Amino acid sequence: MRQVISKLGRFTLMRALLLFLAVVIGVYLTVLIANMGGRIDDVRRAEIRYYIGQAAFGNQALRGLPPEEVAAMLEELAQLEFERLGMNRPFFPERSFEYLWRALTLDLGRAERINSDAGSRQVSNILLERLPVTLALFATADLVLFILSLFIALFLSRRYGNFLDRLIIGLAPSSAAPGWFYGLFLILIFGAVLGILPWGGMLDAPIPDTTWSYALSVLKHMVLPVTAVVLGALFANIYTWRTFFLIYSSEDYVELARAKGLSSRGIDTRYVLRPVLPPILTSFLLVLITMWMGQIVLETVFHWPGLGSVFYTATQVSDTPVILGVVVIYGYLLAATVFALDFVYAIIDPRVRVGGGAVRK
Amino acid sequence: MQNWLARLKGLRRYPSLIAGIVISVIFIAISIYAITAIPYSEAVRLWRAGPGVWDENPKNAGPVWLDLFTEGKSPRTIVVSSGDTGIINEEATGNGTKRVEIVLPFQYDYDGFPKELKLYTVAKYSGSREPTTISWQTPDGRIIILRENYFLKPDDAYYISQDAELRAQLSGMTPHIGLFADPNDEEKPLKGEYRLTLATEVPETADVSTRLVAAGQLHGWAGTDHRARDLMIALLWGAPIGIMFGVLAAIGAQVSTFILSAIGTWFGGKLDRLFQWLTQVNLVIPVLPLLILVAHFYSRSIWTMLGMVIVLNIYSASYLTYRAMYLQAKEAPYIEAAQAYGAGNNRMVFRYLIPRIAPTLLPQFILIIPLFVFLEATLSVLGLGDPLIPTWGKVIYNAVDEGALYKGYYYWLVEPAVLLLLMGVGFALIGYSLDRIFNPRLRSL
Amino acid sequence: MTKKLNHKQKSTARVAISTEKSNGPLLKVEDVFLYFKSATGGLVRAVDGVNFELNPGRSLAIVGESGCGKTSLAKAILRLLPRNVATYKGRILLSGTDIMKFGDERFRHDVRWVKISMVSQAAMNSLNPVMKLKDQVAEPLLIDNRTSKKEAYERAREVFRIVGIPVAFLDRYAFELSGGMRQRSIIAMALIADPLLVILDEPTSALDVLTQANIMNALKKIKKELSLNYIFITHDIATSSELADEVVCMYAGQLVEHSTAERFYRDPLHPYAQKLMASVPTLHVYKKPEFITGQPPSLLNPPEGCRFAERCTKRFERCQKEPPLFAHGDEFVKCWLYERG
Repeated sequence: MRQVISKLGRFTLMRALLLFLAVVIGVYLTVLIANMGGRIDDVRRAEIRYYIGQAAFGNQALRGLPPEEVAAMLEELAQLEFERLGMNRPFFPERSFEYLWRALTLDLGRAERINSDAGSRQVSNILLERLPVTLALFATADLVLFILSLFIALFLSRRYGNFLDRLIIGLAPSSAAPGWFYGLFLILIFGAVLGILPWGGMLDAPIPDTTWSYALSVLKHMVLPVTAVVLGALFANIYTWRTFFLIYSSEDYVELARAKGLSSRGIDTRYVLRPVLPPILTSFLLVLITMWMGQIVLETVFHWPGLGSVFYTATQVSDTPVILGVVVIYGYLLAATVFALDFVYAIIDPRVRVGGGAVRK
Repeated sequence: MQNWLARLKGLRRYPSLIAGIVISVIFIAISIYAITAIPYSEAVRLWRAGPGVWDENPKNAGPVWLDLFTEGKSPRTIVVSSGDTGIINEEATGNGTKRVEIVLPFQYDYDGFPKELKLYTVAKYSGSREPTTISWQTPDGRIIILRENYFLKPDDAYYISQDAELRAQLSGMTPHIGLFADPNDEEKPLKGEYRLTLATEVPETADVSTRLVAAGQLHGWAGTDHRARDLMIALLWGAPIGIMFGVLAAIGAQVSTFILSAIGTWFGGKLDRLFQWLTQVNLVIPVLPLLILVAHFYSRSIWTMLGMVIVLNIYSASYLTYRAMYLQAKEAPYIEAAQAYGAGNNRMVFRYLIPRIAPTLLPQFILIIPLFVFLEATLSVLGLGDPLIPTWGKVIYNAVDEGALYKGYYYWLVEPAVLLLLMGVGFALIGYSLDRIFNPRLRSL
Repeated sequence: MTKKLNHKQKSTARVAISTEKSNGPLLKVEDVFLYFKSATGGLVRAVDGVNFELNPGRSLAIVGESGCGKTSLAKAILRLLPRNVATYKGRILLSGTDIMKFGDERFRHDVRWVKISMVSQAAMNSLNPVMKLKDQVAEPLLIDNRTSKKEAYERAREVFRIVGIPVAFLDRYAFELSGGMRQRSIIAMALIADPLLVILDEPTSALDVLTQANIMNALKKIKKELSLNYIFITHDIATSSELADEVVCMYAGQLVEHSTAERFYRDPLHPYAQKLMASVPTLHVYKKPEFITGQPPSLLNPPEGCRFAERCTKRFERCQKEPPLFAHGDEFVKCWLYERG
């Protein structure tokens, strides 16, 4: 057992490092792109000027002076500060790495225009405040999608060729449309025309006071977005997984398991489900990544106050630090998703941790 | 190869494939029509909606077929101009000027009120201008003076609906309602012949023409948007843009992945591991946010977006799928045989490995097209689409931005959405059917 | 020393089938039919009315070319029916009890593996890739609370010793074993519940000759030590001759000859069997291997009358009608040539 854990540990560490490296590259790319017009520099300069201005505000000695003189003095101070911080050095490669480091640690300073709900202007506060909101919606939707897809696919694989099977397969192309697309229709039908579910947002107004009613309110607002996300991926998922189930249940060792007198439940769990999980997880990983992308528009359409909608707002008002921040967080989230799945992979498939190299299909 | 052709003949057994092909062909036909009937530059011009382009359109008018769902006949746009059905009476005054009276008669038989009333007059002449009188005559003989002592500009646009004085004169009713309302039942318009008369005095050599636009509630097969643009243009042009973006992106992304995967798998070892790791990196890079970043800071041109999408998808996850197939193909004995007779690496990859797996590329390729079509729509919906071209995503963006759902302009949202869905579904149907036909693992079932 | 499951353990498995050495045959297959629906709508007559008996202590080889229905017969005995089964009828008597009459659940619990077990072809794919070997091998004992875990694993170690695999491999996964070892694991798995009958379906065709020889020796040893009954399905005449006491020859879904091994390998009765033996090269006698012209008939549309008639050099007018199974001394032949017995 100890051997297993240590092998697992080494494997995990390797994967974590490689993934982190991937995130670094992604963020660096973002920094490069974002600063191609010198934008980040502009933001930093503005920020520095702001702080200098704030500091000067409390300075009595400047009170009586004419405004132009004060402005000139502040500008001089600002230039000194730029020099001190090395802003006049070339961007590439030195300062780009500095920005890279700051971005990776989410030390992104002040937002240009956006405030967090608690009133803070710090980018990291703004984003971290929104992170759990996004995660709540994302996790719920993914859980529902995974469980539904798994059970329906398993169910269908035993009824290959019958009407229900063909009907659901026929619906597979519906996943060509992303979640937000169905979201629009759902709002149209349930919000505008029928009026039984809220159009968007996360909570009712005024905000409920008891924990219980708060939770209920969030749940009520989650129904449409979660349904939209699930609709956008469900049928294609069922198609792919049911195909996997069919292929894996016609394997020879399943036949032998039947001959051995195992009950069909035993066969399903040990002989079909466990070997089929790796390709299912791989396919689910791709679905998850697609869903992360779609989150941005989904949150915008439903006015769900998460990372996606703040990203959209930031692009609308040109708030560079926030935009950068969201991209970095997204990078981390994606890496975390890939890592989590790799970890689960290693646990369930012995070929990955014992043998040399992955035998993933 | 023969094998594949024979299987293609068995296509008739797949109704979903036929359906998909039919839908795709319809969209290709629409695209061809759009490009030929409304050339690109014309489409851009129309969509930019400069002054004078959409004068005769109502804003936010529904499509004419909505009338089927409502009682009575909803008003369509009526345009009367002095050039055709108007009556012009000219009378010389003797001191170098002439009195001009233009009467614009028209029939109004609709069950509802128009959306807007506008009068465009062209009176291009130099010299002093004389006051003009514009009056309105209803079917039951009432005459309402719209304007007196009005001085016409050379290119005059009189927005009757927004005339506050007129409104007061009509006891607070909006002009385009008040002027048509039946005095006995102000909820309904009075049907019959109406006349608008414009009387002015101009130099003898001058030309005056005028045009009355009573914008309808319904307009065109697709309706209009908040800038009175005919939505048909966007609906038609969305097809070729969508197809072009989807197909080009799919080709660029998938073909490169396909070839790189063959090379990586063939050479194995460090190269293979490097490529695999690059795929991981690609997975972690948030594609959409990066696209948004680029679109926002630099260029929203559709070609920039296309280029970036392709670059970001070269090492996409499909790499691993193809790699698995190549690994299997690599073990085939004829590969070993070819190596034995001295085939070079180049030949092995391009003449042996790739052609063998190529048929399975086709369904993947087609299935990915809708993804890119919707990606373009996603960018547009976020307001980051190409600023010049009308696309379906653009229309959805406008609709959501202008609160179409709140205002009840459902058609504005539904029309482009349905078209997007159909196009995506069309390609997906083909892709899934082809997958069933070509996928070797499914054949044995 | 080898240890069999004690009587108490067997009775907790609710065995209703007599395990004492009865006078009757161990296995009696009577008029068994198995038809499948083909993808194009026709009916594949894989097993078309097969009859034979196997006495206790005797092992049987079922020979025939590919596609003659041998594997389908095995599946019919173990009730391993595919999705597209059309007809499945007949009587299969195991120590006198008609197991065809058992419901599916009773069949699964009382017959599969505990009475009849199977060693399948291509063991590469017959082992669950994500389960440790000891769990798979011991599995038939672990389900339905038949024995405790400790006893089950102990028994697994025992059967591994019998087939000659180091017991350390029980803690490994299937992909860590060589082809020969995997085949042996499958055999060990088949022995673990101490069955009455083991059906081996082409147990060595996927292996090289050296491994084949090893497996054959192991099987011979097991047969002697545990006095098991085998049914050996194969198209490889040469190897089957080492283990079989009796031979059943199948052609186009039907049983055409059932004789003792000595008889079959030296001087078979049915013209097809004769041709079959003539095609096998022998070590000590010089002979030129013969072949049979033509193709075996399709199971979708078998011809009227004797199915071998088309390719038979000894055919005559009687052959236009399907011959019954004639008794010829101790043996059975499905051929008009032996009408008078």
